[in-house]
This record gives sequence, C-alpha cells and structure tokens, in this order.
Amino acid sequence: MSRSFKRSKKAALILMVPTATLLMAGCSSEEPVETAVYQNADECAAYYNPPAECQAEFAKAQQLHSQVAPKYQSQAECEADFGTGQCEAPVATLAQNNSTATDPAAPAQQQQASSGFFMPMMMGFLAGQMLNRGGQSMSKQPVPTQPLYKSRDDMSTYRTASNQPVARQSGPVSVLPSKMQPKAGTMVRRGGFGAQAQQRQSSMSSGG
Amino acid sequence: MKKVAINERPGWRQYAESVGFDFHTFDGEAYWDESAYYQFSLEQIEQDIEAPTEELHQMALSLLPDILADEQKLRLLEVPEQYWDWLAQSWRTAQPHLYGRLDLAYHGKGPAKLLELNYDTPTSLFETGFFQWVWLEDQMTRGQLPQGADQFNSLQDKLEQAFATMPLRQPCYFSCVGDNIEDKGTVNYLLDIATQAGIDGRFLALEQLGEINGQLVDNDDFPVQAMFKLYPWEFMLREEFGQHLLTSDTQWLEPAWKMLLSNKGILPLLWQKFPNHPNLLPSFFESPGEASLRSGWVRKPLYSREGANIELIDPQGNKLVVDGPYTDAGFIRQEFYALPKFDQSYTLIGSWLVGDNAAGIGIREDNSLITKDSSRFLPHIILD
Repeated sequence: MSRSFKRSKKAALILMVPTATLLMAGCSSEEPVETAVYQNADECAAYYNPPAECQAEFAKAQQLHSQVAPKYQSQAECEADFGTGQCEAPVATLAQNNSTATDPAAPAQQQQASSGFFMPMMMGFLAGQMLNRGGQSMSKQPVPTQPLYKSRDDMSTYRTASNQPVARQSGPVSVLPSKMQPKAGTMVRRGGFGAQAQQRQSSMSSGG
Repeated sequence: MKKVAINERPGWRQYAESVGFDFHTFDGEAYWDESAYYQFSLEQIEQDIEAPTEELHQMALSLLPDILADEQKLRLLEVPEQYWDWLAQSWRTAQPHLYGRLDLAYHGKGPAKLLELNYDTPTSLFETGFFQWVWLEDQMTRGQLPQGADQFNSLQDKLEQAFATMPLRQPCYFSCVGDNIEDKGTVNYLLDIATQAGIDGRFLALEQLGEINGQLVDNDDFPVQAMFKLYPWEFMLREEFGQHLLTSDTQWLEPAWKMLLSNKGILPLLWQKFPNHPNLLPSFFESPGEASLRSGWVRKPLYSREGANIELIDPQGNKLVVDGPYTDAGFIRQEFYALPKFDQSYTLIGSWLVGDNAAGIGIREDNSLITKDSSRFLPHIILD
C-alpha cells in the first residue's frame, strides 16, 4: 500500500510569473451592435421610425437623464465642461401612469428637485435597440436607451454620460455594448477602507 | 522533530523575485531562510499537528452559537453593537470561509499548545503553499534531500479546490491596502490560485472602494458582489466606510463571523468551554484594574497582529515587551508556555486550515520568545 503524499500534487502560478500575463485578453472579442442616435423624438420619426416608439424611447432617455448625467456643485463648474448656457439644475421626471397615451405635443410633466447640483442639458439620445426589434442581437449585453451630451470643446460629438463618444451626427451608428452601459451619476463616494492601517503606521502588514 | 543545516539553492533570491516573492528579505534581514530545515516524522505530523488542528478548529466553531446568543460575550469581545445582527446573519446563512492559521507551540513530543488563532487575515501563505513546496522539489532534484522526503503542505491544492467548489459570487475582488508589498504578495497569490480554479477574480485596492446608496462599488461604479479582503474586520467596523457593510449586498471572504474567531478573547472562551484540554493553555479575560502581570503569564490585546503589544514574563521573572499600535482595546492573559529552542532560535508552527481541513504548516523562528512580522520563515520536510 503506497501512502498518499502530504503535499500538493502541483504548485503552479499563472499570474505572478511575467511570462503568463497574457490572460488580460478576452475583452476584444465583443461584437458591435447597430443602433441610432437622434436629437429628439421628431428627428427620430423623420428617419422613418414609428413616431410613438420614438416618443417612448425619448421619454425613457429623459427619465434616465437626471440619474446618469454628470453632476456639479456649481453652474460655473458645469459650464466649464459643457459650455455657457448648456447646464441646468437637476430635475426629476415624474413617471406617468399612462405614458403610452402621452400627447407628443404636451410638455413632459416635470418636478423641480431641491438639490443644489448642476448638470449638462441632454443634447440627444441613443435609441437603444429600437431598430433591432424582432431580430435577435448577437450580443449578450443589450444597449440601453439613454441620454447623450456634447462637451464644450467638441460640440459636434454625441457622448454618453460617462464621456464615451458615440457619433458625430444623427442617424444609424454601431457601438460596443460594454461601452454604452449607463451608470448612476457621479454621486459615488470614494475612500473605502484603510484609515486604521494608516493610523497604526503604514509600514505594518495587515496580516498576522 | 529536528533542525538540520542544508546548502542554500544557488540563485534562489533571483528565482524568488521572478515569481513575485519580493519580500524574501525585509529591512536587510532574511525573512525566507533556507540555511536549515525542520524535519518531522509522519506520526508527529499526523497525530500531533494535523489531528489537533482539526479538533481545535471544530472546538472554535462550536463557540459561535454561544457567542452570538450572548450579549455579554459580544461585549467582552468588544464587537460594536450596531453590527451584532449583521454578524449573526453571516453565521446563520452559513457564509463560506476560506482559510485560517493556528499558531502552535510544539516540542516534537507531547501535545501541541494553541497560542492563538489567525482566522481573519492570516499571512505567510505564499511562503508556505508555494515557495517551500518548490524548495523541497528543487532540493530533491539536486540530490540534497532523499527522494522519499515529503512535506505537510497541501495548501495550494486545497485552496484551488476550495475556490472551485465554494459558492462564490463573481467577479470576486481581491483586495488589501494598496501600498503594503507583503499583503499585496499574499493577495496576488490567492488571486492566482482562484484564477486557476476558474474564478473571475480582479485586484482592487481597499482605498478605491466606492459607495452608492449604501452599496459598495468598484472603480467603474459597478456593485462589488464578492470581495476577499486582507484587512482586519475590527478595523473595517471602526472606519467611516464601515456603516456601508450593513447595507451593501456583498459576499465577504473571510465572512464576518470569522472576526469573532480571530479575536484573542476566543482563547479564554475556549478554556471556559473545554477546561484542561491537552492542546489549550489556561486563559482569562483581564478585568479592568487587575493587578500587574505575574511571572509565568502572557498578556495579549484582544485585537493584535504580528506579535504587537504582547507582554510576557517567563517563570524566572524575565520580562519581554513588544510595543505596538493595539492599545485601544481589552486584553487577555494566557499561561506562559515556552517555545522550543533550536540553536539560538525559538520555533513556532503555523498550522493551516482550508475550510475545515488541516492543510499544512509553515515554521517561523525568532531570536526572542515573541514571534513577529520579521521572524524568519524556514522550510520543513517529513522523513521517517
């Protein structure tokens, strides 16, 4: 009877050795997805899309606007990035129960939020996968309908709220879904953990 | 159990650096020391270390329901009250744990004595699991050690198996305080093993964690669903970001309940529940205003790492104190038990567990009776 070993059968490293750092690939195989960019619902309809659908997608983007737009403490800071007169105080769009019956001519029902933040005005919207209706997308990740912005130093380019350039003009465009995922504004607080280790001399290991 | 001198492998330092072991020498002093090794018999390993390690672990686990149901014990362990429910929930929902290390004093015969449990942020993992394993293979290949030599060290195999089978949400972030190279080395090693096990693991420095509406988020503001952290729970609870632990939907390694077992207060609780157990030393909570330490006793803070803030008076009355930053919590007292002395060094055995299984040992040597961050690490073999 041969006794079993008390040690590991192998002890390999794949990341810690420099020759094997090629694991970082993987992100490049993503397929682009066809979608479209419009200034507003009217422009969307002018591209032969169903007007009701254009209106619905536009409303969706507007609703996301206050959540995802970059936020600034002052109007001046916001205008430094987006241009004079291109910023507004945040507004919260009220969700409407009968949104399908909305008259396109009626102004969106909005309510002024009381926060002191400023954010850029919405300059257009990405129509998500409105055009892919019926056809199955090859991509696992869908492209959500979302608001688009234009920065002061490049007024011809539509950008997402997280500053990803999307298109230089209205109309069809192909995008990588991973670059088009909206994130919750910039209300994030950073800092995490580590303060106690700082106080207890920084050379110390946290382990034991 | 004996200590045997051996030739160092030529060029081992360059090899160490090539595999990310950058802290083999620390402040000009050797940390990895392969000028000698320790030799054990298989019986010593299996009967005196492996079996008691698993038994002590089960004893420690058995304390958890008692502690979580007892306000007085939670107060003795100085767990902030706002975290009690959250902590109990991590135990009730059986959040899986990865690893831990028991520190044992063992003379080669008689029962090994438990000095403490490192159940939250144990280190010297890479040295044990990888570097001493390679050392044995190298020395056998070079004919410096007999072919039949073995090592009590299934640490890397067991860690890989644990990552492959435990319910772990992904991606899992592996984190520590960004500027500590020893901690970074340990985290890189675990990330490497997890990757080999098929886990989507990523490094994130703890300072870079963000928070949105009570949810911890990564650098791209995506929710952190799972995180391995090499950073003490007792620190996290007391920092500003600690409040988000209660609301963030995040799976933690080690899980929150592990903080109770890494608290030195577990030593008196073990002694209360299992008095005179052969692997335990008498231990008590220090009451406020208690008389100064007597000969033959050791005083340890509830929360302490790397031997910091430990005070010891041996039976002859010789006093030894290590300064440190852990002065803001309570203390326990444990009966003095001499570490074995080989040549001019005192020897401590770190006995690892992965999940609930004993997984190997790493040996530390120090010129003093208190083992510290700077204590040397020596390899070992099993040979009958």
